[in-house]
Amino acid sequence: MPGWLTGKPTISPMTPDLSINLGGLAMKNPVMVASGTFGYGQEYDRYFDISKLGAVCTKSLSLNVRAGNKPPRLVETPAGLLNAIGLQNVGIDAYLREKAPYLRKKGVTIVANIYGHAPDEYVELARRLEAEGAADAIEANLSCPNVHNAKLATGPSMVSQVPEQVAEYTTSIRSATKLPLFIKLTPNVVNICEPALAAQEGGANGVALINTLLGMAIDTETRRPKLANIVGGLSGPAIRPVAVKMVWDAARVLKIPIIGMGGICIAADAIEFLLAGASSVAVGSMSFRQPDASLRVVEGVEAYLRQHGIPTVSDLVGAIRV
Amino acid sequence: MPHIVNCEVLTHRELAPGQFRVALQGPAIASEAKAGQFGMIEVARGYYPFLRRPMCFERILADAFTVLYKLEGEGTRLLSAFLPGQMISVQGPLGNGFPIESNLTRHIIVAGGIGVATFPGLAEALIKVCDTAPEVVLAARTKDLLLCEQDFREMGCKVHLATDDGSAGEKAYASQVLERLSPAPGTRVYACGPMIMMRETSRVALEAGAECLVSLEAQMACGDGVCLGCVVESKHESEGERMIRVCCDGPVFDARMVDWEAHNFAYDP
Ligand SMILES: Cc1cc2nc3c(=O)[nH]c(=O)nc-3n(C[C@H](O)[C@H](O)[C@H](O)COP(=O)(O)OP(=O)(O)OC[C@H]3O[C@@H](n4cnc5c(N)ncnc54)[C@H](O)[C@@H]3O)c2cc1C
Ligand SMILES: Cc1cc2nc3c(=O)[nH]c(=O)nc-3n(C[C@H](O)[C@H](O)[C@H](O)COP(=O)(O)O)c2cc1C
Ligand code: FES
Repeated sequence: MPGWLTGKPTISPMTPDLSINLGGLAMKNPVMVASGTFGYGQEYDRYFDISKLGAVCTKSLSLNVRAGNKPPRLVETPAGLLNAIGLQNVGIDAYLREKAPYLRKKGVTIVANIYGHAPDEYVELARRLEAEGAADAIEANLSCPNVHNAKLATGPSMVSQVPEQVAEYTTSIRSATKLPLFIKLTPNVVNICEPALAAQEGGANGVALINTLLGMAIDTETRRPKLANIVGGLSGPAIRPVAVKMVWDAARVLKIPIIGMGGICIAADAIEFLLAGASSVAVGSMSFRQPDASLRVVEGVEAYLRQHGIPTVSDLVGAIRV
Repeated sequence: MPHIVNCEVLTHRELAPGQFRVALQGPAIASEAKAGQFGMIEVARGYYPFLRRPMCFERILADAFTVLYKLEGEGTRLLSAFLPGQMISVQGPLGNGFPIESNLTRHIIVAGGIGVATFPGLAEALIKVCDTAPEVVLAARTKDLLLCEQDFREMGCKVHLATDDGSAGEKAYASQVLERLSPAPGTRVYACGPMIMMRETSRVALEAGAECLVSLEAQMACGDGVCLGCVVESKHESEGERMIRVCCDGPVFDARMVDWEAHNFAYDP
């Protein structure tokens, strides 16, 4: 196997530059971890030095503690999993008190992912995070499939399915913080470019693509859905081709950078996203299987750059040959 | 602290149709593991199945441990194909494990089906610390699924067998056998098996004034407190404490903490 696939560096005199500037957020490399798949960082710091990552993205934080959905919340499906966690999280107060200080002490670049029921909740969350110095960037989750949004019709529905709402939410949060602002979008739309452009017009510094794809699984013996929530969000390698395609679509219309994610397991997967037009990538569900998968991706991307004699990682962004 | 270790398969044997014991060399894990803890085993090289499989440590030796498992689906099928000499990645030890206390007068293990897999190590630890062998209720659907009877007897445990169909021991449920053993204050009951069996066993134990610890099962993705997928509902009222994670708050819980009323048994594996 070539070195860039295995993560084993091959010798080259040149040291490639992995650092990037992601819409105002300085990162030592383009690799972060996806919200909800890395806890609050500390959990996986037992396995490797998490400060070596480009950034750590927190579990979605809400104003109040949330218990989340009823179990069972998880079911494995081919090459991936369906989840319906329902945004269980410690709440902003406990994050500021207990989680952020650890990340700060470690020197981690923090992307705080936030979730609220209405624009004013996002605004308050962003304000508090900035005021307390507990985030280097904000990622607004407008795309959780597992909580009901009363404003929209029936079933699991997400703010980012409606471009006008993306614009409204983004504009509000934008006015509340100077921190780099990323908007996390759902892939459960007809045309990903519409909510992506709405985020850009609302003043976002980047978009995060993709959140999970809606799915369901049924137990054929009991005829019951396998999740208590009936439907859930699909993640893992199963969704990667869908995610790469959405990044490619969005990259051709956007001026702001993209954080690409969806089934990234090894460096080659991350490079696929970069070539499709993502400026940064996030490792998600793979951390469940291999807690240090994200670090291996960093090492593998560096090895790839060396092997191909590419001086900076930004040279790969959108470098697909079509 | 958990480690991710490539473990060599030392021995791998089919004990009964579809029931296996595998011994794995893994000093970093074995030296820290306690009875009741588990490992996450990487069964596939590729992405099907994608997730690791949670498996209890059956017995813990100085530099190795054994796992007792039954064929369930694709993950355990792949696991069963590993040959001695091959390497397999294990993340562990994970979870809290059983507390071992010597100031109780009586210890009764109640095992349902493959739930027995967590108990040989517990029996060994109890014998070491408390100097008395626990009593064991071994229950299963049918005779072929009763495992470890000989192992417990060799340790000096009094073993009570029960099967749903009466093919071995009493034709009774585990909880009914426990009832006849008259647990009392000062007794600690340890239960592992199907959720419904653990609910009934803990009801009998608690009504008799005994303590009851249950080792729960849940679908897991990370095994390590991160994904929040493995929760069960507890009796805590507060929003922040209601959901307890089987992987890291457990898998061993005081049965009084579990909200059996809220649990939907229809979804159990
Ligand atoms: C803490 C813990 C310890 C366990 N220890 C043992 C043990 O020592 N011996 C043993 O035989 N089994 C044990 N189990 C159950 C074991 O993990 C499952 O039987 C196994 O994952 C089945 O995988 P599969 O691919 O063969 O089955 P499939 O049914 O194909 O699996 C599909 C999915 O469901 C999950 N799953 C299926 N059954 C269970 C179950 N009963 N509990 C949790 N998840 C399940 C799998 O992990 C997988 O993600 C334990 C479970 C937990 C949570
Ligand atoms: C168990 C689980 C929990 C998640 N929680 C969140 C969350 O709280 N907020 C969020 O924005 N995305 C959440 N996600 C979505 C991921 O951040 C990511 O967008 C998605 O899983 C796709 O990446 P992957 O295939 O690499 O996992 C979650 C995903 C999983 C699997
Ligand atoms: S399995 Fe992930 S939190 Fe328990």
